[in-house]
Amino acid sequence: MRDTMKKIGSLLVAVAIATTGASASEVVPATPGEPGAEGGLAILTKKALCVPLEGPQVVNNAVVLIRDGKIEAVGPKSKTEIPAGYAVFDAGENWVMPGMVDLHCHVAGTFDLNDMVYLTNPGIRASTAVVPEYGALKRGVAGGVTSVLFIPGSGTNVGGQGVLVKTALPTYEEMEIKNPGSMKLAQAGNPERFMFGVGRSFMNYNTRNTFRRGVAYAKRWEAYERGEGERPEKDIQFEVFRSLMADEIRVSTHTQIYQVVNMTIRMIAKEMGVPVFIDHGTFDGWRAGDIAYEAGVNAILGPRNIDVPTASFINWSGSNPERIQGVAAGYQQMGHKMIGFNTDSPVIPQEELQLQAGIGMRYGFDDTNLEAVRGLTIIPATTARIHKRVGSLEPGKDADVLIITGHPADPRSSVETVFIEGQKVYDPAVQRRRW
Amino acid sequence: MIRFQARFVLALVALALSPSLPAFGAAPLIDDEEAAAEEEEKEPKDRYLVVLGADIHTGNGEVLRDGRLLAKNGKIVAIGYDDFEVPGLDYDREVPADERGYELEILDASNVPNGRVYPGMVAFSSSGLLGGGGDYRDSIDMFNRNMLLGLAAGITTTGQTSSTAKLKRYVPGNFSRDYDFDGVVIGGKTLSTVSWGTAASKRSAREKLAGAAAYLRTYRQWQVDVKKDKELKEPSKSGVDSTMLAVLRGEIFARFSADYQDDLSGIARVAMEFGFRPVITGCREGWVVADELGRAGAMAVLTPRTRRSKDEQLVAEGGSSIENAAILHSHGVQVAIIPGSRGIDLGGIAGRDIMHLPIEVGFAIRGGLPDDAGLASVTTVPARLLGVGHRVGTLEVGKDCDLIVTDGDLLHYQTFVQYTVVDGDLVYDKQDELYFAHIRPRDDSLLAPLVPFDPAEVPIEEEGDDEGEDSEEGDDEDE
Repeated sequence: MRDTMKKIGSLLVAVAIATTGASASEVVPATPGEPGAEGGLAILTKKALCVPLEGPQVVNNAVVLIRDGKIEAVGPKSKTEIPAGYAVFDAGENWVMPGMVDLHCHVAGTFDLNDMVYLTNPGIRASTAVVPEYGALKRGVAGGVTSVLFIPGSGTNVGGQGVLVKTALPTYEEMEIKNPGSMKLAQAGNPERFMFGVGRSFMNYNTRNTFRRGVAYAKRWEAYERGEGERPEKDIQFEVFRSLMADEIRVSTHTQIYQVVNMTIRMIAKEMGVPVFIDHGTFDGWRAGDIAYEAGVNAILGPRNIDVPTASFINWSGSNPERIQGVAAGYQQMGHKMIGFNTDSPVIPQEELQLQAGIGMRYGFDDTNLEAVRGLTIIPATTARIHKRVGSLEPGKDADVLIITGHPADPRSSVETVFIEGQKVYDPAVQRRRW
Repeated sequence: MIRFQARFVLALVALALSPSLPAFGAAPLIDDEEAAAEEEEKEPKDRYLVVLGADIHTGNGEVLRDGRLLAKNGKIVAIGYDDFEVPGLDYDREVPADERGYELEILDASNVPNGRVYPGMVAFSSSGLLGGGGDYRDSIDMFNRNMLLGLAAGITTTGQTSSTAKLKRYVPGNFSRDYDFDGVVIGGKTLSTVSWGTAASKRSAREKLAGAAAYLRTYRQWQVDVKKDKELKEPSKSGVDSTMLAVLRGEIFARFSADYQDDLSGIARVAMEFGFRPVITGCREGWVVADELGRAGAMAVLTPRTRRSKDEQLVAEGGSSIENAAILHSHGVQVAIIPGSRGIDLGGIAGRDIMHLPIEVGFAIRGGLPDDAGLASVTTVPARLLGVGHRVGTLEVGKDCDLIVTDGDLLHYQTFVQYTVVDGDLVYDKQDELYFAHIRPRDDSLLAPLVPFDPAEVPIEEEGDDEGEDSEEGDDEDE
């Protein structure tokens, strides 16, 4: 209840600022006695990379107002009054941007989440393996990663449910953004090792079988909730499909190579009608970029970031005999506009998410409209359906904010301070620098 | 490039020429065809390379905006803004290439946006760039793909197990002479590994050093005494460790592989006690004891992205730090940087191998290393450690003409090498090779995007000195 009140309170503030041109006297004061009533935080910066899904992406000479763990307002200094009682943090020449979001993380806890019970295990939950303040994740925080999708491995076709968590809060309950946060599907290139070995035809048969039953299960519940039919029996194997069919979460798909990416789009998105995104999408998967975008299948790319000449490496993708093709650039050139980056941490260490965007740009990904910054923030947030809480600097969203010395795709740009929900969780000025 | 766009470029050089540089006075002038033919049989023609149209970063801290560089037979003979004289070049008439008594190539980098010339990078160590093994004069594979990719990355020299070699690629058509096998290896063994892992190995190293130091004291005394008594016998080297003797005589570097601070402190102490400069590879906790290493004149070869948590059983600081290179540098330790993966990695995960050496340096800069020290960490410092600092690592008169032309700051993550020159020969042109040509292609490339034709926007051409067909049309200048 109090949370709701707070939310309404900050929304009111945001609205007040937006509608009145924000002079100090018009800002709704905090109710005395509430946490944070003494005021919020105002961050001054040369450049705020706000990166909302739509609209202007950058505010120069900006003020970011934070209160009660939420972003209250973002605007140019000249037009944004800092309410009385707010602490002021001047970021100087540094930039401010939303915390980064990685949708392929295996380091939010121990790696005991790749149980290969059946060939499809939609009931297994990664949330049970989360370890707050896990070492590898702490370094990730220092690399600016504030939200992750912690997912099972790709040892089976459906490894289980991912969980969306904040990276630097002390308990699981505080970390959790959404559970289940996704369902992990692996279509090829790992599940083959299940039991005595399975091939693509059986894997696709079995995946279809699981998805058909899951979708049917979700539809029975939908019908029941509309008041049609009897209450179905609860089946923990298929509960996750109810969240999927409501597009509250999506299928994250270990898919790569043109043929398999096509299979993801055709089988999961088109045939089953289940919301899905490409996770990996590498080798020559980029060749399917146009049909993926057309089908509303976002592309979250990594940890491989280039498609290399195959002649002397592995010939199974069969494309690209001679050039070194940037994976992200490939999707972009095919017209895809919802491209994000992942690390598959620890394959790429969690703290190097920003380099994934940098390598993308090096190999031809166009960042003219901050596509690379968006690919680290709002695109993955939208893809995982947590864009109402994280992924951009917009009033009402969680105050997951980074102070960074320059463009986040540049490995030389150092993350100087990290806020998660308004709390300063990393500050190398007062604690040992981690990255 | 080079491709000698004869008229235009020659005119340009001709304009730049003046008869002022005495260095060329002695170069042979070939007057008639017969003599030229004779000369050709005797010895190869002199080979000139002019680099112009870009900012020259010498690697010593100087930057020559739109400077020029002239190389002769693979060595740099002039850098600056002065006009270069190429002997025998007749400015009054266009001399056909086959009538010239020399070869001239002009690398006009003005087609490279934000073009910069840097010294070719020196990899302290690498694997698989030369194709062969053992003696690279015999085994180098000059057609090797990884060598091409190394050159594309801007690396022109690399340390090998016991030698230092150049990435000398064979480019058909570029050479009118035989492949220079003897030019491949430019340095021998300069580092001798000293085992420093266990208490026993440390004791052994110390004993050998003490023995060598004692011998040197005796030897020096003998040097004095022998002047009085010619019969005096030179002290015996029996029992003296020859490697440590070479280390103390400054003939070879003692190379330690060490990461932990107590090991590093020990190296610093032994180096100061016996008076030599240690080379430390790894050096993960160097930042904790940087002052000791600095005082000992240590030199470090490290990977900025090394990760290791602090040992929680120790009270003292420890573990890896992204600031390692920066802290060591600020304490006077010379830092060379190598990536975690020494070969060319075509597994699909880019950014961690020798092909992305500048990105590894970028992480040291993230930790606070100044840009100039970052450049030095892949040029002068490794060149010094490999004993080839007098030949490569900077662009200076007298040094080898190993250089790269980039499309921006070498240490920026998007920068590509456009041209690579080794020993005065162009061995890599991004637009001529398959791998990266399609990424931000140069305007002069066939891959460059077509610009839609808009007659209203066609600029009026201003003709240069060379006669063009439409020269009359561009005459809107005031007379």
